[in-house]
Amino acid sequence: MFNKFGSTSETLSKASAGLLRIGTDAHLYDDPEDVNIAPLLDSKFESEKCEALKRLLALIAQGFDVSNFFPQVVKNVASQSSEVKKLVYLYLLQYAEKRPNEALLSINYFQKDLGDPNPLVRAWALRTMAGIRLHVIAPLALAAVSKCARDPAVYVRRCAANALPKLHDLRLEEHASAIEELVGILLNDHSPGVVGAAAAAFTSICPNNFKLIGKNYKKLCQILPDVEEWGQILLIGTLLRYVVARHGLVRESLMLSIHGTNSNGFCEKDGLGRDLTLDKEDGGKSDSFDVNLVSLVSKCYIQGPDEYLSRSSCTDTVSSAFDTKETTSIAHNEDVKILLQCTSPLLWSNNSAVVLAAAGVQWIMAPLEDVKKIVKPLLFLLRSSSASKYVVLCNILVFAKAVPSLFAPHFENFFICSSDAYQVKAYKLEMLSLIATTSSIASILREFEDYIKDPDRRFAADTVAAIGLCAKRLMTIPTTCLDGLLALVRQESFAGDFESADGEAGVLVQAVMSIQTMIERDPLRHEKVLIQLFRSLDSIKVAAARATIIWMVGVYCSLGHIIPRMLTTITKYLAWSFKSEASETKLQILNTIAKVLISAEAGDFHMLKRIVVYVFELGEYDLSYDIRDRTRFLKKLLSCKLASHEPAEDSVASQENIAAHVVEHVFGRKLKSVSPITLHNRFYLPGSLSQIVLHAAPGYEPLPKPCSFVYEEQDQLSDLDKQREAAADLDGSEESSETGDENGSSDYDSESSNGSDFSSEGDERTVSNDANDPAAPLIQISETSVSADQEELRSRRALDLWLDDQPSTSNQTPSALNSNQSSYAKISIGDVGSRVKPKSYSLVDPGNGSGLKVDYAFLSEVSNVSPLHVCVEVLFENSSAEPILEVNLEDEESMKVADSSEQTLVGKANASYNNIPTLIPMEEISCLEPHQSTKRLIQVRFHHHLLPMRLTLHYNEKKVPVKLRPDLGYLVKPFSMSIEEFLATESRLPGMFEYSRRCTFDDHVKDSRTENGKDKFLSICESITLKVLSNSNLHLVSVDLPVANSLEDATGLRLRFSSKILSSEIPLLITITVEGKCTEVLNLTVKINCEETVFGLNLLNRIANFMVEPSSSAT
Amino acid sequence: MLQCIFLISDSGEVMLEKQLTGHRVDRSICAWFWDQYISQGDSFKALPVIASPTHYLFQIVRDGITFLACSQVEMPPLMAIEFLCRVADVLSEYLGGLNEDLIKDNFIIVYELLDEMIDNGFPLTTEPSILKEMIAPPNLVSKMLSVVTGNASNVSDTLPSGAGSCVPWRPTDPKYSSNEVYVDLVEEMDAIVNRDGELVKCEIYGEVQMNSQLTGFPDLTLSFANPSILEDMRFHPCVRYRPWESHQVLSFVPPDGEFKLMSYRVKKLKNTPVYVKPQITSDSGTCRISVLVGIRSDPGKTIESITLSFQLPHCVSSADLSSNHGTVTILSNKTCTWTIGRIPKDKTPCLSGTLALEPGLERLHVFPTFKLGFKIMGIALSGLRIEKLDLQTIPPRLYKGFRAQTRAGEFDVRL
Repeated sequence: MFNKFGSTSETLSKASAGLLRIGTDAHLYDDPEDVNIAPLLDSKFESEKCEALKRLLALIAQGFDVSNFFPQVVKNVASQSSEVKKLVYLYLLQYAEKRPNEALLSINYFQKDLGDPNPLVRAWALRTMAGIRLHVIAPLALAAVSKCARDPAVYVRRCAANALPKLHDLRLEEHASAIEELVGILLNDHSPGVVGAAAAAFTSICPNNFKLIGKNYKKLCQILPDVEEWGQILLIGTLLRYVVARHGLVRESLMLSIHGTNSNGFCEKDGLGRDLTLDKEDGGKSDSFDVNLVSLVSKCYIQGPDEYLSRSSCTDTVSSAFDTKETTSIAHNEDVKILLQCTSPLLWSNNSAVVLAAAGVQWIMAPLEDVKKIVKPLLFLLRSSSASKYVVLCNILVFAKAVPSLFAPHFENFFICSSDAYQVKAYKLEMLSLIATTSSIASILREFEDYIKDPDRRFAADTVAAIGLCAKRLMTIPTTCLDGLLALVRQESFAGDFESADGEAGVLVQAVMSIQTMIERDPLRHEKVLIQLFRSLDSIKVAAARATIIWMVGVYCSLGHIIPRMLTTITKYLAWSFKSEASETKLQILNTIAKVLISAEAGDFHMLKRIVVYVFELGEYDLSYDIRDRTRFLKKLLSCKLASHEPAEDSVASQENIAAHVVEHVFGRKLKSVSPITLHNRFYLPGSLSQIVLHAAPGYEPLPKPCSFVYEEQDQLSDLDKQREAAADLDGSEESSETGDENGSSDYDSESSNGSDFSSEGDERTVSNDANDPAAPLIQISETSVSADQEELRSRRALDLWLDDQPSTSNQTPSALNSNQSSYAKISIGDVGSRVKPKSYSLVDPGNGSGLKVDYAFLSEVSNVSPLHVCVEVLFENSSAEPILEVNLEDEESMKVADSSEQTLVGKANASYNNIPTLIPMEEISCLEPHQSTKRLIQVRFHHHLLPMRLTLHYNEKKVPVKLRPDLGYLVKPFSMSIEEFLATESRLPGMFEYSRRCTFDDHVKDSRTENGKDKFLSICESITLKVLSNSNLHLVSVDLPVANSLEDATGLRLRFSSKILSSEIPLLITITVEGKCTEVLNLTVKINCEETVFGLNLLNRIANFMVEPSSSAT
Repeated sequence: MLQCIFLISDSGEVMLEKQLTGHRVDRSICAWFWDQYISQGDSFKALPVIASPTHYLFQIVRDGITFLACSQVEMPPLMAIEFLCRVADVLSEYLGGLNEDLIKDNFIIVYELLDEMIDNGFPLTTEPSILKEMIAPPNLVSKMLSVVTGNASNVSDTLPSGAGSCVPWRPTDPKYSSNEVYVDLVEEMDAIVNRDGELVKCEIYGEVQMNSQLTGFPDLTLSFANPSILEDMRFHPCVRYRPWESHQVLSFVPPDGEFKLMSYRVKKLKNTPVYVKPQITSDSGTCRISVLVGIRSDPGKTIESITLSFQLPHCVSSADLSSNHGTVTILSNKTCTWTIGRIPKDKTPCLSGTLALEPGLERLHVFPTFKLGFKIMGIALSGLRIEKLDLQTIPPRLYKGFRAQTRAGEFDVRL
């Protein structure tokens, strides 16, 4: 009847749904392919395009592969309609990785959109571009992200922060430092929304780069309450990790409470300590157990359980593992105090993940008495959705295991509602049995009584098990509890007759097991219970329950006065029922009768022996081989017993009989209580996924080692930070103001990249090379000193003058610079050319090449063969004692060709492919005497500006493959241009073609020390130029001198270089701007304008790298 | 971070997939998921975090729709779950409910919303009022428009002004001709009455819901007459923590439209407005059941839509139940619902009848739990009172409204 009604209501609802579907995209989802999609995509109407795209999305939603439409869809990326654009982006992200070539077509549109005045369009373009995941465009995307990281719109900056993990995910080694730098910039943003996203980027990109956090730790703490909720979750974790790495754990905290109790006993004084001791009185050994567990938990947090468990054999060192040096005290540590302060209001957050994260911080860092305040917020989370309830309970359980007293007064919160899911019920039960105290046990047991009658029998069985756990924890559990269980056993065994449901059996088994745990504590007192159980054996039908009771017969067979007298009857009964038992019970019967026989008294011995023999006979012919085996084994073992006639006599004989000894050992031993610490002890950080799934998920990291991060305070920096904070506060107070976005984010320096990430190549060495670089330009600077606000004008004028005077090499005193009178300063640093020392790389080490050492250096000469070739000077040196013959370098591929018989054919093919040879070979060295060195010139055409070229080195009729690595700085050639041309070209290459990076420079510091007399600006110019020209082949266009009044401040110094890319003749402009004081480390901003973005970006990285490398003269 | 989100219908069909990162998740994970569900039953559905052979799965179930998210790396599980809940909330608000058809019909909106709500596995814009400015919710007008013109874009091409400001939950400058602000106290009573008829637990879970339609940039303060009764609370991000810490005053710049300002809990209540007195006797294969429902302490307002529902134990083979007031229905899954409505003045509603047990069973040894439902308009049973709502600058034609209501939350009466 009900079904019938149900069906009508269903049709009704369907009909009404049909009515509602008018005007929606329903038909598109139902039949996405009922029209031909391709022509729609090419339609000139936006609405038709839109429909086509919707159909494609419907197909994607249903799991079809529609990547074959890719080319047609990509075209529409240019659409003006925002909806079409959005749909195209959705499609692109789905398939771009599959169709990289076509995806590249869309890049230009993204680049255009990135310059759009509408921030939403910029953000969409950035998100899609970064999400496309092609290595080819990664440099472009990175450039776009770094541009958007300074965007005036907060939303765009947020998207930039979100885009960083996408780029990081592509594993671009060469950009790693640039990405981290951007994370640093975004973390420093003054808008909370951006900081949240940056925190997420930080956790997924460089979770251990605490330098980035250290720089603005306080600011991050202050901004934390304003960060959007999702960012808060990750930022809290990051701040916690930072504080632990920097200062270590807090001495007063729960994590180290064990030391407190051991050393000065302050735990006794505070409130919680008293709770713990109270607990001790009524809970027996529960207190000491807690302390062990807490120290275990804190060890797990720091080391990760797997690491910890692997060395847990040396558990006695647990407590002393934390060095006092690695801890801190909240009273003295400002950072810890701030962290606790800023996270505690987050316990009121609406987002349960935030609450749990904040609670985690308090749990780990807060002083013992303050940990209490996490309890209520955590309990409140139990009222949220059932899914989060489960996760929160998992975490609360860990807290409660360590400190049951925290939650003990709130036991009512864990009472079970009928609407709870089974898992939640199970956790609540575990919780209740953990936190039960003598005062609360009565009401908890009353609840348990209710639960036992619940229709969900699996839950009822768990309840019975929980009663057992409670009994284990609390000595004084009322005996009524036992009676109740016994009654339950009786009732269940009765009900069990009628119901075959597994649930009932489960309840019964658990009841017997719970009784067993209770008896275990004080068997003598519960003798009567045992007797009752044994008597009910006949009515209990569930095999597992029977087996447990039979096991108890064996264990307690010599207990008290009554049981030994019952034994013959029981064993007779067991022997009688043996045939009809389940194999589980049969095994237990065999064990039990063996035990009974051993402890048998003289009177019963003969009777028992006969029963045993009978059972063994039955057992030997059982169907199950397990039972047959067990029977034979026992029979052999007990053979001496079975042979003897008197139990007493036997015990004398057993002195010689090993078998009897074994028997005594196996069956005669008393039960040992199992120590509770052997519970499963895997703890992970609160709120982590690993804590829920109970294994370390990929990417799980325990807390960093305490005090593993040493942070050098930099006065200058912190001053700067203070200023910024002040500025940020100002911004914050004018609530709606959004001005000043730009400067807030842009002028942070790249502290993180200071030398830390740039490892100099191991085999680089500098050979003094006196060959003058012919391209090294003669530099002349003219200067008119004018007021500061006319900077642009001034530099122009100066340049004009410079151009006019180009051939002049006159050298005026640089002291004119600091005078305020108008005058020209024409400075020549033409002697730089003589000091340029091209860097030399090692091609073959003398160790490998049996004494032959080959180095190479790139020359700035332009090849006479073709514009694509680079001249490389190769220096051969024989460091062995014997002459080396016939040394030559050849292209590896041409060697192969020469070896093969089809030389001409392949040669032709090669020629048609590209008739420019990759290597213009050098003149062979016929003989190299010991300690003789010879230079040779080769010209090389690199296939790719990053990939090394494979060459083969011949000597002494041996072949050695070697790799010639290109130096990006020499894949360009100097391109002489005037400053006007330079500026004009620069203005034609804005936006995407412009990218910059920051780095530091300190060569001049050494210089200025040695040459005190020289002008500081000049020496800086010289050292920068020297550095640049020693590492790349450029033309110095102009130098702008700083306009600051102070002689010390080099900010504003600007050098311009120009060049052309060898392979494509595309001009490439480099501008280096200097910031900082003359005598200190300078901050350089290197900017490149070039159409060939990939090459440009790589060169930019190369320049930034070599600028921070220690100067060659120093090494 | 999350890698993929699937929406699965109650028949196991994957309605929608949205890949979030480059590490694509194959649909086959859903097949695995569904197989597990079939083999393990409902308790699997209640498991929010699952470690599958290839991925960690997070799931929530709303109105029969399973929201399944996948990740392969460590991430805060609550973050994923909260986010899925947020997605479900937003979707059901947009579509006016949640079911298979609604999602399929509006799949484009679902895609667009998901794309806006999460970027690369990290939540982006989750504030409903901002989302509504970016993607227009489907309404009758837009539906009609699309029928007539065949084209109606629901994607806004400008960035919502609030998305970037320091109060990201509020559009910069909404304008209203009449300024209205409504405060609702919505409370739910959670109670457990044990088999002895004793009130074991009785507490109130409450929410302060607001609907603000105020011009400009209003700064509001809301204070309670008796904030000390509040046990725990949680706040909307707009609430400033400082004023609450110092003198228990809610100071905030409200979002536009409806939102939940705070939620709170009041514990240890002594009384429930309604009593339920079940009685059961079983003998020789049949049970007699009688349940009385009445007013225990009159709250002063009418108690409406009282319902009592319970699950008959498996061992009951047939039931014959009748009542002297209201209607009783028994569904095929043995769920029994007694709809009482209001309690009449002249008599006490009583449900009585007999249950026949399965053959061979003498007495009933498992007992159902009754779930009580009721609603009382115009009163907050916790006793929480709003003292006043102040605006820093008072706009013209301001109307302030206050309401309260209490309904039963998890109200269990055990038999």
